Amino acid sequence: MAEQLDDLNDDMKAAVGQETGRTTYEVTTQGARTFARAVGYTADKYYDEGVAKELGYTGLPAAPGFLGMPVFNPKGGGREETFENPFKRRLNGGTEVEPIDQVYGGDVLEAVSRITSLELAAGRLGQMLISSSETVYTRESDGVVVAKTRGTGISY
Amino acid sequence: MADQLYWDDIEEGQEFNLTEPMSSQRLVIWAAASGDFYQIHYDDDYAKNNNLPDIIVHGALKGMLVGRLVDEWKGEQGKIKNWGVSYRGMDPAREDLNVWGKVTKKYEDGGEALVDLDVGVAQPDGTQTTPGTATISLPKR
Repeated sequence: MAEQLDDLNDDMKAAVGQETGRTTYEVTTQGARTFARAVGYTADKYYDEGVAKELGYTGLPAAPGFLGMPVFNPKGGGREETFENPFKRRLNGGTEVEPIDQVYGGDVLEAVSRITSLELAAGRLGQMLISSSETVYTRESDGVVVAKTRGTGISY
Repeated sequence: MADQLYWDDIEEGQEFNLTEPMSSQRLVIWAAASGDFYQIHYDDDYAKNNNLPDIIVHGALKGMLVGRLVDEWKGEQGKIKNWGVSYRGMDPAREDLNVWGKVTKKYEDGGEALVDLDVGVAQPDGTQTTPGTATISLPKR
């Protein structure tokens, strides 16, 4: 069990607002179709670019929430820790999606994440650190912000 | 394709839903779509060795099922402003999940005709595991 904290330490306080990661996401047409299939969409526009164009889309649209996949790095890497978290067990507390512009198969997005708040709380699992974050997804080809996501992480 | 929904026709309290079977195959397809290959979602032995009764549905999949619910409900001319869910409980696989929405507020703001929703995912016995909210913009007649 992690040591009980009376308050956020200086590293934690300094982490709020800091960038925690910058990741490239590829939105492939196959990825968009697999996402639509997994979520259960049956609308042809999510599978057939010709149908989508008849509806006014400029390509194969990604269903809401699909923002591609990060480019896999076999050597690991990824998100940088901006502070040493004494709580080692983690849960995903929730997710919010704000779609802003239509995402298409073929788009490449740059995702930039920041911690927006950190809070200590007591729960049935003991002391917890609740972390809120926001990620902004920008399409590389035109610089348009296509979506923002917000997440809550629980460490205990 | 579903008929277009218009803001004028919406009433507060209106409900809609879809029922989704959560087979192990479905979770494997989601793993491929999301890149979440944590074994508690597809490996029975691994799940049981982690004190789980069965493999469990990915939280993010439940969040995206809610996204699909509101995407299909709003029609081609509607727009999702946002949706979000909290993961409050685990859902074992191989059961149907009820993905639901309920209109809580209908209003206009900044020239947009908007609808607020309560949304969520429930198990067959009614247990709510994934409550959330959404805001949708709809066309007017």
